[in-house]
This record gives sequence, C-alpha cells and structure tokens, in this order.
Amino acid sequence: MSVRLNELRPVYVVGVGFHRYQFLTDTPYVELGLAAVRAALVDAGLAWPAVESAYVAKALLPMAPGRPMLRHLGATGLPIVHVENASASGSAAFRHAAIEVAAGVSDIALVVGVDKPMPVGRAEALARIGSLADDAIAPFTHFALLADAYASRTGASLEDIALVAVKNHRNGAKNPFAQHQKERTLEDILNGKKIAGAFTSLQCTPVGEGAAAVIVASEEGLRRQGLDLSRAVRVAASAGRSQRVYEDATRYDAMLTEETAAIALEEAQVSPRALDVVELHDAFTVEEVEYVEAMGLCADGEAVPRLKDGEFDIGGRCAVSPSGGLISMGHPIGPTGVGQIGEIVRQLRGEAGPRQQPGARIGLAHMVGVGAVCYVHVLQAL
Amino acid sequence: MDPASLLKPALYRAEGSATVPDRPALLGGECACGYVFFPMQSYGCEKCGGLDFKERKLSGAGTLLASARVHLHAGKGREAPFTVGAIALDDGPIVRTLIEENEGDPRPGRRMVTTLVAVEDAEGAPRLDLRFTPEAGA
Repeated sequence: MSVRLNELRPVYVVGVGFHRYQFLTDTPYVELGLAAVRAALVDAGLAWPAVESAYVAKALLPMAPGRPMLRHLGATGLPIVHVENASASGSAAFRHAAIEVAAGVSDIALVVGVDKPMPVGRAEALARIGSLADDAIAPFTHFALLADAYASRTGASLEDIALVAVKNHRNGAKNPFAQHQKERTLEDILNGKKIAGAFTSLQCTPVGEGAAAVIVASEEGLRRQGLDLSRAVRVAASAGRSQRVYEDATRYDAMLTEETAAIALEEAQVSPRALDVVELHDAFTVEEVEYVEAMGLCADGEAVPRLKDGEFDIGGRCAVSPSGGLISMGHPIGPTGVGQIGEIVRQLRGEAGPRQQPGARIGLAHMVGVGAVCYVHVLQAL
Repeated sequence: MDPASLLKPALYRAEGSATVPDRPALLGGECACGYVFFPMQSYGCEKCGGLDFKERKLSGAGTLLASARVHLHAGKGREAPFTVGAIALDDGPIVRTLIEENEGDPRPGRRMVTTLVAVEDAEGAPRLDLRFTPEAGA
C-alpha cells in the first residue's frame, strides 16, 4: 500500500539561501548557484560534507550543470541528480529530496535551483500533432485569454485583476533578492508596455537568472551534526499531479491547481482558510485570482473583492506572494519553486523582516509547469 | 477544392460538415469512449488511452470564450498586432486560433464561424488558412 510523505519520518527544512533573481548578466551560473548553496549552509549551520545527496533543478541550462558547480564546495562524491520539470523543476526537486529524507535513504539533502535565460525548445512540438496557430499563442497570450474569460465569467474588470501586480510589486520592493524591487501604482502598471489582451509588461513575470537553495534534514541527521529543531520548519505535505481531461480544456491550470492543492491540504489536515502565507505561480496577474479561488482561500469569483479588502496583503488574513511572487521577485525557472520554499521558511521562522506576515504558522507553495504539471507543498512551524 | 491549396490540410477542409455545410470543417476525431477531440491524431485517446477512434468532421461553428489582441510577438511569420480567440466548437472541443476581425474585437459569448483567408506558405506560395470570424448578424 502506498504511503503519504507525512506518514514517513518527519522532514524539516533547516537552511535557505538565495542569489538575487536579476536580468541576464555575464555571471556564470556556477557563481549564482554557489552563492545560494553557501548561504543555505550558513543558514543551517552545516558544513558541506554533512550533505549526503543533492538535487539540482534547472530547465534552461544544458545537460548536467550540477557537478561543475558543486565540486567547488569540495568533491565529496555525494549523489547528484538533475530535475527538469519546466516551471515546476524546483518544486519537483524539493519533493523528491523530501521523499528521500523521509524514507531514510539520506539524513541531509540539498535542493538547489539555478538557471540562466537561454533558448530551449518544447518537446510537445516534436509530437507532430498539428495546431491551427499555437505559434501565435505565447504563454502571455494563453493567460491573456484566461484573463478575458475570468473577467467575463466573474464580472471583474481587467483593471481589477491588475491590482495583483500592485500588491506583488509592493511586496517585492521589500525583498533584497527580488528582480523588481520597486513599488508601482495601478496607473504605472496599466500605462506600461502593452503585451497581449489586458496585460502590460508589469503584469507579467520578467525573464531572468538567479539561484535558490534549501537544505532538508531528518531530526536524527540534525542531532548527529550537533543541531536541534529550533529553526526547523516541517514539511507537512507534498503533492504532485499532471493534467487530466477537463470540461473546459483552456482552464487546465486552475483545474490542476484545485485538485493538487486539495490533496496536499488533506494530507496536512489543514483547511485552506487556516493558511497564513501562500506563494503561488503568479507569472501573470490572472493566475493569482484563479489560483486563490482554486485552492479555496476564497469562494469562486471572490478573489477580486478579497484582494481589494486587503485579505491577501502582508498583514491581511493570508499573505499571498509576500516575496513579490513571480511577477516581482521573478521566475528564473529552475530556482523558482525552491525560492518559494525559502520564502515560506523565512516567514514561518519569523525571519522575513519587512515582509513578515504576523504570527505565520502554516504556509503553502504552489507551482504549475507546462506539460502540464502541478506541485503543492504545505509547510508548518513547529 | 483541392486540399493542396490549404496551408494545413491535415487540420481542416474547405467543405463543411453535414450540420454546417457552408463553413469549412475541422478534422477531429471521436473515440469509442465518446471523447471528441481536435486535431485528429493516431497515438491514443487522451481520455481513455484506447486506440479505437475514427476521424470526425467537426462543424465550423462555435461560441467565443475569450479573445486577446496581441501587441508583442517574437515568433517568425506572425506580425503583431493580431487577435487570437478561444472558441468552444458546437461539436465539443475548444480550439484557440486567430480571429479574422471585421468589426473590432468580438466579446465572449459571440457566435463564431470558420472562414478561409489567403496566406503564403513558407516558400511564398499562395495558400488558404483557417480563421474564425464573428457570424454575420449574430
């Protein structure tokens, strides 16, 4: 019989580290990744030889970037695996590292996401199934169509949906690792460069590079290193799913989110209304309103009124994308899902500084990736 | 009409379906499980995994679910601005493709029909490609 992650021995996140997400530079990916890993080791109070297994998440870098980076920490001979799962690469890597530690195969494992923008194809195009005009529908156009449908379904205006970007840029302005660190007014956002449909550039995630790392461990592994659980955050649930056939095929992102979040919340025995912080895949503004409804943070069609009430602000009922989210913090692809875990850990430790959600105890991280796949993790303060 | 004059003859025909004879039909498939899909493929049914399906002509008529005017586009062979739409076909599948505008951007709920427009293929030869357009008088 299969078991769930939280029926195995407890797994904790014990260290987090970042390299700032930023527009493309000449900095080698090795430097980006090492900065994040070294910061995570310092945060955990661990020396590199204590790490028994490494998961490297990337979607754009070429084959096998892990060892050429990690050897500079000392080539301990640890197993290294690369995880590619589109936008959800980092979330998938985190899930499998947590499973390895929960199963007792390792006591301490590293998850590092690192990427740099470079051209990459999509395997779906190799299936040789024709399309009427898929080449005309970039991701921002896919979501612009969903924004138009959301507005028509709920009566929300497209200006209302842009309020997501106002909130997330405000949060990102307080995050030293965010790609965009500037508060924007609704007027700034609406008057930006037109992209597709109602979207202007500040309602879309920027293209960029960066790195994020987290260290997961068992209690036994920590004790052996002379550490305790005082700054540890429990991984309370992990769920991964892929797209099925839905009645409205264009809304697969939300349908997939709904079922994956429900599985994770059930595993953690947590009601969506009990969540204090959520990091979700807000690559485009409409995604946040769709996903907060799909997760059950509010009723269908209620996301815009709740957003206007400030419920999803830092200090509101549940802080959504306190890091700035993909819109403001950025979406370097491989690091993104790992960085969400890092932000939630900081929030649940009470170490998020000016972005701190008061009294945060339970957080949820959500990513979708083309394909489509979806991951949801629930984290809990001890 | 000779299918060779079409840009993507594997996806549509100038001739209509039995139900909507005067609008170009889309070439979809129908599985023994009842699932109707577009475009036709031979790998297996996404709903049930079975291989017992056959080609089915889908009527060139449906309802607009959403549209978006695209102002920025990097792909070759498409010059922005253009408009794309999501159309729920009367026969079931939802398709996304270019909208041929004749009276400004149509709104969700609008009845849409297929039409063929003159384009050039990769070698510059004249071809006809499928678009959706608001149904006249709808």
